[in-house]
Amino acid sequence: MDKTIALMAVLTILVVLPTIQLVFAAGTDAHEYVNRKVEIWNLFFKMMTIAFTVGAVVSGTLIWLVWRFRESNPNAKPTKYEGTDW
Amino acid sequence: MSGHSNWPEWIYVGVVIVLLAYVGAEAWNVERLVDRAPAEAEVIKVIGQQWFWTFEHADGTKEVGELHIKKGHAYKFEITTKDVNHAFNIHDYVVLQDAVAGRINEVWFAPDKAGEFPIQCREYCGLLHYNMRGTLIVEE
Ligand SMILES: [Cu+2]
Repeated sequence: MDKTIALMAVLTILVVLPTIQLVFAAGTDAHEYVNRKVEIWNLFFKMMTIAFTVGAVVSGTLIWLVWRFRESNPNAKPTKYEGTDW
Repeated sequence: MSGHSNWPEWIYVGVVIVLLAYVGAEAWNVERLVDRAPAEAEVIKVIGQQWFWTFEHADGTKEVGELHIKKGHAYKFEITTKDVNHAFNIHDYVVLQDAVAGRINEVWFAPDKAGEFPIQCREYCGLLHYNMRGTLIVEE
């Protein structure tokens, strides 16, 4: 339950607040045309940042997993299933 | 689940959902900003053919290979072709739209700098494709 509330809070901050900001920004019409170069580059930059961050986390987790649970790791303990017929 | 916690997985799932929602919203918003031409945008008809560009202004005047427009105004290009497919590109203003036979494709922009900028065909359209260029002249 607490976890659900926490998740909802995070979602609210990350989704609802930017939307509100967007709506207010739309109201203040300074009559400046959008600069395609800026908009498109910014979108590209944000998406690449997210893509590379997620990519680093996922591949980092996998690398850590393979390293940590390799057979030759001194810390590796046999699971309770090893040496049994299940 | 026997005695082990899986909250990191739920956090990971939440973060991924949030990131995807953010990416989707952001892309949708930028696409909306970039695609929707303002009502006052002046229409310029762009006709591609092997191997040059013709421009027709709203008042009916035509230009070949050169396009004169004014800084700070919005322009909407209506792009088509008389023969094979081409693509209309003003690299410096990140304007790029295919010229497809039988269709009128639209793209709009508002130049914020005066000067001369190259126009180039970006769809291979035959022998002299490489030389299917033009000049955008933005006047103060
Ligand atoms: Cu061409």
